[in-house]
Amino acid sequence: MRSLNRTKIRSMVCRYILLALGTVIFTLPMIYMISTSLRPNGALYEYPPRFFPKWEALTLENYCYILSQSKFYLNFLNSVFVSLTTIVLAAALSSAMAFVLGKFKLKANRLIFGFIILSMIIPGTTMIVPQFELATKLNLVNHLWGLIPFYIAWVIPFSTFMIKGFMENIPGEIMEASWIDGANVWTVFTQIALPLASPAVASVSIFNFLTAWEEYPWANTVINDTGKRTLPIAIAGFFGQHQFTQWGYVFAMSVLTLIPVILIFILCQKFFVQGLTAGSVKG
Amino acid sequence: MCTRTKLLAALLACLMFLTVGSAFAEGETVTINFWHHYSAQSAENETLMNVLIPAFEAENPGIKVNAVSHEWAELHDKVLVSAKSEALPDVARCDIAWLPEFQKMGILVALDEEMPDFSEVSGKLLESAMSTSIIGGHNYALALNTNSKIVFYNKAMLEAADVRIPATMDEWIEAVRKLSGENANGQQVWGWNEPALAGWNICPFIWSFGGSLTNDEQTEATGYINGPAAVKAVETFAELVKAGGITGFNSGDIPMTDGFGTGRYAMMLEGPWKSAELAGAYPDVAYGTAPIPAGEGGSISVLGGEDIAMFNSANKEAAWKFMQFMTDEFAETEMAKCGQIPVNKAALESETVKNADYAPFIEAIQTAKARPTVAAWSEMDNDLTVAMTAVVTGEKTAQEAMDELASKWDELLK
Amino acid sequence: MLAQPFNGFENYREVFRDQTFRTVFVNSIVYTLITVPGQMAVGLLTAILLNGIKRFSVTFRVINYLPVVTSWVIASLVFRYIFNTEGLLNYFLWKIVKVTSANIRWLDTRWGGISVAMILGIWKGIGWNMVIFLAALQQVPADLYEASEIDGCGAWKKFIHVTLPGIRGTILFALIELTIGGFNVFTSIKMITGGKPAHQTDTLLTWMYYKAFSTGRFGYAAALSFVMALCLGLLAVVQFRMMRSRDN
Repeated sequence: MRSLNRTKIRSMVCRYILLALGTVIFTLPMIYMISTSLRPNGALYEYPPRFFPKWEALTLENYCYILSQSKFYLNFLNSVFVSLTTIVLAAALSSAMAFVLGKFKLKANRLIFGFIILSMIIPGTTMIVPQFELATKLNLVNHLWGLIPFYIAWVIPFSTFMIKGFMENIPGEIMEASWIDGANVWTVFTQIALPLASPAVASVSIFNFLTAWEEYPWANTVINDTGKRTLPIAIAGFFGQHQFTQWGYVFAMSVLTLIPVILIFILCQKFFVQGLTAGSVKG
Repeated sequence: MCTRTKLLAALLACLMFLTVGSAFAEGETVTINFWHHYSAQSAENETLMNVLIPAFEAENPGIKVNAVSHEWAELHDKVLVSAKSEALPDVARCDIAWLPEFQKMGILVALDEEMPDFSEVSGKLLESAMSTSIIGGHNYALALNTNSKIVFYNKAMLEAADVRIPATMDEWIEAVRKLSGENANGQQVWGWNEPALAGWNICPFIWSFGGSLTNDEQTEATGYINGPAAVKAVETFAELVKAGGITGFNSGDIPMTDGFGTGRYAMMLEGPWKSAELAGAYPDVAYGTAPIPAGEGGSISVLGGEDIAMFNSANKEAAWKFMQFMTDEFAETEMAKCGQIPVNKAALESETVKNADYAPFIEAIQTAKARPTVAAWSEMDNDLTVAMTAVVTGEKTAQEAMDELASKWDELLK
Repeated sequence: MLAQPFNGFENYREVFRDQTFRTVFVNSIVYTLITVPGQMAVGLLTAILLNGIKRFSVTFRVINYLPVVTSWVIASLVFRYIFNTEGLLNYFLWKIVKVTSANIRWLDTRWGGISVAMILGIWKGIGWNMVIFLAALQQVPADLYEASEIDGCGAWKKFIHVTLPGIRGTILFALIELTIGGFNVFTSIKMITGGKPAHQTDTLLTWMYYKAFSTGRFGYAAALSFVMALCLGLLAVVQFRMMRSRDN
C-alpha cells in the first residue's frame, strides 16, 4: 500500500511540475507583449534587450496615446457592432435551421445537411475572391454591412451542426405534448426548443463572437475608410508603417483589444468546453 | 416569451434600419474621399488633417473631406481593387509612376478636357512637374510635389572610420566596406541601408553605373537591363550585401529611420521628408547630405513625386476645388515645412522654402531620371524585386537574373 | 464591374504552369504536415497530464486555452517581434544559452519565415486540442484501463492499446478540422513575412490574395480558389471514409 501511494504522489508531483513549466513557457509570448506595451517606444532598441523593462522605465504612455485617439473608440464600436449583430442573427438563423433539421423528417434534410457539411469543409477565407465579387454586386464594399452577412454565412454551418445535436436530445414527448395542446411550430420553437437548447446557443454564440471580433482577411479586403475599420485592421494598420515600427503602440492596442475577449472567455469558459466537446466527442 | 421575441425582432429591425439608413444617407453636404499615403504618424498627415483640411472646409462650406491614409503599396492595390468594385475615391495622391497604369484602366479624368479653368490652374505649377501628368497628349492629374533622393550620412560614423564622403562609385564601394562591421556594443553595423529592392531603390545605381532599363521608346528591355553596365551595378550591389555592407530590405531588419538614428546604418539614400522625420524622432543625430556618387553614367538619382488625380466616379466640382486648394500656394507652403518640395511657382519663392534649404535636393532633381512611364510598370517593378532578391541571395548570377528579367519585360512592354 | 472575357481553362492552365504556385503549394503542404501532428501531439500530452490531477485543473485549462482566443493578428505580431533578427529570442539563443554564433535571420528566408509561422500555428492550437482530448479521455471507460493493468500492461502499452483506440473518433475529428485550418493559414503569414522574400513564404491563400488584390488577376485567383476547394473536399472525403471504416 505504501509504495503504491508513493508512486502515485510522485507521478502527481511530476504532472504538476510539467504542467506548471509548460504553462509558463506557453504564456511567455503574451507576457512579453504586455511588458513591451509598458515600455516607452524609445527603449525598444536598447541593448541588451530585456524581457521585463526596468522598474523606473515602466510607463503607461502607450495606452494613453491609444486611448486619446478618437479613432480607437470608433474602431472599437465598429467591432462591437459587427460582432453583436453577427451573433444575434446567426443564433436566430442557425437555431431555427437546427430545429427543423433535428425535429422534422423532411426529404430535403439530407440535402441541406450535406450543404452544411460542405460549407464547413471549405472555409470562408478560401472563397474570398468570389465573395468579393458578390459584395461588389450587392454594393456592400466599404460598409460594415459588407462584413456582417458574410460572417453570418461563415458561422451558420458549424452553429447549426452544434445546436442540432442538442435539439435531437430534446425528448420527443415534450413536443408531442405541446402538439396535442394545439401549439403551432413557431410556439414550439420559441417556447420549448429554444430554451432547452440555450446552453448550445450560448456556447455557439460565444465562439461566433470571437470569430467576428478577430476576423482580419475579409475585413481588410472590404473596408477602405479608416473610420469604418474594425480593431484587427486598426492594429495591422498601425504596424504597416515601414520607417517607424512603434511596437509599443501596436501592443498597447493589442492588449486593449484582448481584454474583452479574455474577460468573456474567463467568465464563460464552461460554455466553451461544452460547445467544443459536444461536437468532437460525438464525432 | 412571445412578446419578448417580438420586441427583440422589432429592436433588431430598428437597429438595422438605422445603420443601413445612416450608411446610405446623403445630407446636404458633399463629402469627397481623398486617399493618400502620408504615413499616419507623420508631420505631413498632421498638417493635412489639422491645418489644410479645416482651412479648405472653412473656405468651402458644404464640402467635407474624408481623408484616408494607406501605406504606399496598399494604396496602389486598393485603387486597383476599388476600380473593379466601383468603390473608388474622388481624389487620390498618386505616385507619378502609377499614372500610366491608372490611365490605361480608364479610371482617371482627363483634366484638360473636362475642367474649363485647367490651363489657369496648371499655369501656376512647374512645367517640368506637370509633364509627369501628360499621357497621350492629355493631362490626367495636377502635380503635387516633386522629389529625388540624395545620400544622408552619419557624420560621427564616417569620422570614426576615417572615411571621406564618397564622390565616385569606387569610393562609395570602399566606404561601405569600411563602415560596416561591429560597433562598440558588439552589434552589427552596415555602411548602407536600402529599404527595398524595387526600381525606386535600384535604378539610381543602374543609371549612375551607365546602364539603362529600356530603350528610349520604352518598347524593348533586352540589351538594356541586361546590358553590361546594368549587370555590373546589380553585381556590385549584391556583392556588398553578401559582404555585410548593405541591408534593410529584409523583413527582420531594423527600420531605416530607427537604424540611421541609432547609428546602425552609416549612409542611406533618401528624400527631403527624411530631414523632417529625423528632426522629429532622432534630433540628436549629426548627419550631412551629399549627391549620389558618380559612376560611369554620372551622378544620377531617381525622380520621384506625387500628383493629385481625379477619378471618373468623383463629384467633379467639389473634387476640382480640393485639387486646386492642395496645389495652391498656401497648401504647398505648409507641406514644404514637412519636407514636401512644392511645385507651385509662388510657393517656391516663399521664405519657408528658401529657408528649408532644398538646394541639394533640387540639384539632384535637375539630373534625376524618371522610372519608365509605362502602364505595366507596377508589374515590371515586382519582377525587378524578385530578380534582385535572387541575385542578392546568391540563387542566380546577376547576368542570369537580368537576362530573365529582360525577356519578361519585353513581354510586358509589347 | 470591369467586364472580363471568359477564357475557358486558360486561368487553370496558368495556375499550374506558374513556378511560384509550386513553391507556394509545397509551403502549404509542409505547414500542414508539421503543424497538425505537432498541435495534436502536444495537446494530447497536456490533456493526459491534466486528466490525472484534481486541483487547479480549471486554471491550467483556462491559461492554456488563452492563446486560442488570442486573435491571429495579435499573436502574429507578437511572434514577429520576438523572432526579429535583433529581437529577444536571437539574443537569448546567442548570448545567454550560447547555442548559436550569430543572429538567425528568421524572418528573412523561406524556411525561417515558414518555421516561425509553424511555431505560431502549433502554439496557438495546443489549447484547442487539449480541451477536446481531455473530454475524450474522460469518456474512456475506466474498466478498460483496469483490465489492461490486470493483463500486466505498463503505461506505454496502456496508452497504445486503450487510450488511442478509445479516443480515435476525436483524433479523426481533430485531424479533419486542423487540416482544413492548415491549408487556410493566411493572417499569420501576412503579418509575419508578408510573403517575402519574393513570395517564397507565401502559402496558397496569401498567394491567391496577392494575385487577386495586388495584381488584379481575379480570374487566376478564382481558379486557384476552386482548385483549393476541390483539394480540401477530396481530403475531407478521404478522412470521412477513414472515420467510417474505423467505426466498422
